[in-house]
Amino acid sequence: MADPAWLFAAHHQGLFKYFCRAVGRAEAARDLTQEVFLRVSRTQIPPMVNGDATAWLFRIARNLAVDYHRSRSRRPEHVGPVEEVMQSASQDVDVAVNQALASLPALDRDVFLMREVVGLGYQEIAVACDLTPDGVRSRIHRTRLQLREQLAAPISTSRTTAMSRSGKTTTRIEP
Amino acid sequence: MRSTHEVISAFLDDDTFDPQELTNALSDPAGRALLIDLMALRRIVQPRAAAPTLDLVKPARPVWPLLAAAAAVVVALASGYLVGQRRSVPLLSDAPPATKVVQAVPFVPAGGMR
Repeated sequence: MADPAWLFAAHHQGLFKYFCRAVGRAEAARDLTQEVFLRVSRTQIPPMVNGDATAWLFRIARNLAVDYHRSRSRRPEHVGPVEEVMQSASQDVDVAVNQALASLPALDRDVFLMREVVGLGYQEIAVACDLTPDGVRSRIHRTRLQLREQLAAPISTSRTTAMSRSGKTTTRIEP
Repeated sequence: MRSTHEVISAFLDDDTFDPQELTNALSDPAGRALLIDLMALRRIVQPRAAAPTLDLVKPARPVWPLLAAAAAVVVALASGYLVGQRRSVPLLSDAPPATKVVQAVPFVPAGGMR
């Protein structure tokens, strides 16, 4: 049977990464990651195999993310104009990614993040989100295509950066 | 028969796919572009913030051993005090009788007082 310390060691990074993108703020992500484990430590962990433990944790995380968005929609925070202007290029990409993710339906966003950011399998995501594995597959596929459209500019930049980092150049030889 | 998009998605997710379908998908320039875009998408959605450290949630130490130790110290001090009170010799108020009496004489120098 899994204990809270083991669960924390095994999953805190994945949960934090999920929250970072699900709520768009690192500080809130840290708080929510702790909150997951506080809840786990206060409850009796049901007997389960490892994969189920992961799905169980992410189900708790998903509920917390939903609560977070609900409470934020009741009292929206003001973002100052200075914060918006003073951003580096990488921060611009971060903001664009967060905006694109925020525009998605909550379930699609969570399914996508659990796959792409955390690396969970279809079965684990299905248990965490109350879906079938086929439902997970189709949502991930649809969300990828949607985000490909919305994030065309950052994707293009990332592609170019990756090519220049690898030192690969292409030379066209004209006949 | 799955679409190009579905086959490439399955390939990215380590899901089952028909190798021939993947070959067909990647022989199409649009399919290759999709694969590269989806890999770039996976890269840019990774958060850059540092994950919390492992000491965020420490297993709670039980409090009762500390309380028991503190109680034992208090009991030891109190009983030591009480035992000391009972065994202590009462203070004598009267001094013992003198065995030698010294007479104090005023000092006069040899030449007398001037």
